[in-house]
Amino acid sequence: MTDTTSETVRVGELGPTGAFERKAQDAGNHRVRNLLILAFVAFAALWPLVHENTFLLTMGTLVALSVIGATSLHLIIRTGHISFAHAGFMGVGAYVCVLLVMKLQLPFAVSLAGGAAAAAALALLIGPVVLRLTGKYFVLVTFLLGEIIRMVFVEWTSMTGGSNGIFGIPAPYPALAEPHAFYYFALAAALLCVGFCARILTSEVGRAMDSVRESERVAQCSGIPALQLKVTIFVIACALAGVHGALLAHFLHYVDPSSFGMVDSLNLVVMNVIGGMNHLIGPIIGSVFLTILPELLRGYVELQRVIFGIILIVVMAALPGGILELTARVRRLLASRRS
Amino acid sequence: MPLLALNNLNVRYGQIVGTSDLSLSLEAGEILALVGSNGAGKSSTLKAILGMAPYRSGKILWQGKDLKGRKPSEIVREGIGFSPEGRRVFASLTVLENLNIGAYSRDANEAAERIEQIYTYFPRLRERSGQRASSLSGGEQQMLAIGRALMSRPKLFLLDEPSLGLAPIVVERIGDILKEIQAREALAVILAEQNANWALALADRAVILELGQKTAEGPSADLLRDPKVQSAYLGI
Repeated sequence: MTDTTSETVRVGELGPTGAFERKAQDAGNHRVRNLLILAFVAFAALWPLVHENTFLLTMGTLVALSVIGATSLHLIIRTGHISFAHAGFMGVGAYVCVLLVMKLQLPFAVSLAGGAAAAAALALLIGPVVLRLTGKYFVLVTFLLGEIIRMVFVEWTSMTGGSNGIFGIPAPYPALAEPHAFYYFALAAALLCVGFCARILTSEVGRAMDSVRESERVAQCSGIPALQLKVTIFVIACALAGVHGALLAHFLHYVDPSSFGMVDSLNLVVMNVIGGMNHLIGPIIGSVFLTILPELLRGYVELQRVIFGIILIVVMAALPGGILELTARVRRLLASRRS
Repeated sequence: MPLLALNNLNVRYGQIVGTSDLSLSLEAGEILALVGSNGAGKSSTLKAILGMAPYRSGKILWQGKDLKGRKPSEIVREGIGFSPEGRRVFASLTVLENLNIGAYSRDANEAAERIEQIYTYFPRLRERSGQRASSLSGGEQQMLAIGRALMSRPKLFLLDEPSLGLAPIVVERIGDILKEIQAREALAVILAEQNANWALALADRAVILELGQKTAEGPSADLLRDPKVQSAYLGI
């Protein structure tokens, strides 16, 4: 009997000395992390109640929506590819959903699924080709792809209304015409999306994504179907981008090609870079930061872009791991104080 | 039928020759050493077997089946494990996660059992289970790379330059463990090595490669006594 117990201790992943301490410390870190997540969600849930300002409420909704886009792009980044076409896929989801609602009078839920499916289908068509490229070539090709998609929105006037866009998009459901209701709707969608991405990243698939990012060839010869894995993740991520676009269009009651260009794709990438590319929390921090910062700088219209750029450069130079690195540094500082 | 047979294999990278008209065969449970200097075609041979190097002509038969056009991940599933040159481990993953990569999309219980087995072969890996692979020593990383390749319970194990950059004592240790695994699991091994002394001591049979061509072949014991091999590869 004693034999089996000592065996299970040994099997329990960690070796004799120091290991248990580390495990306890890990558990402590997890507790801190869970508390922080809980606090963040509670704050988001109570956000509309702490003030009467509709502008702040709108900001909250936009942050929640961009969390969907940024975290879905994060999935692609975690396989080692930085896509500059993500806003294009948002646009596909947005236009398809809006057209299904307005031209075919389909219910919103069905149209939303249709928009996501259209973005996913395009990703499935293009993914197997572009995901063979790496590094700057992938960046370049997806950049062009995003522009091609945007040009289609501009040129296909009969369907998309061209540069004028489509006006008078109804709220998804009459009840969601009320801003508070839409805020909670967007928050729920964002939480669902983050939960889904976290589930993927913490699973065996997440480890496989890490291995493909580190070395695709070594991953392949360890038996991982690298291309198939990357295409699957790309398709899922682009479907989520489609959801982001569709919800955004129905929130703003308006859609035009200028929301789905190069700058918007770049914004989603920067959200990941600024927040931190190594953890799912990074793009969430980035979304908050990048949605709110331009609004804070509204007062200095002529200098807005300049200040914005300087802040980005400073953050990236000081914190290569993104804002998330700040927490790691604080933790290290506390640990060194303690010892 | 041999476990693996290469017939007149011609690996080419554009104009560059990887192997030319290379033929060899391997029985189950046998250790074959591929000995040769840099650029002799050792790695090209292993990569071609795993579907990672293009070959212009020739055949690779695995238990009688042609492997042409199969993806590396499919070939691994067929029962061929590969540990690439330069002890490539996934630095940001822990030892345990690295091992699990080797059993990707297989039954979780089976993988856990297999990890136990790998840990009995390499007790150091058990001690380091929760650590990131980047924190391991060179020898430990090589053990991890071997362990990861063995996770899929291969029938044939392709091992590329395991001794590269390791201390002689660590190389000896890895050789002992390889022997033990090979005896226990009736594993066939193709060992590509520049360290001819060590490889010939370990292998049943050996093939000597030069510029992609086979220049000698036979039982290791015979090659160890061959004067030409002695002067060219054994430093005698």
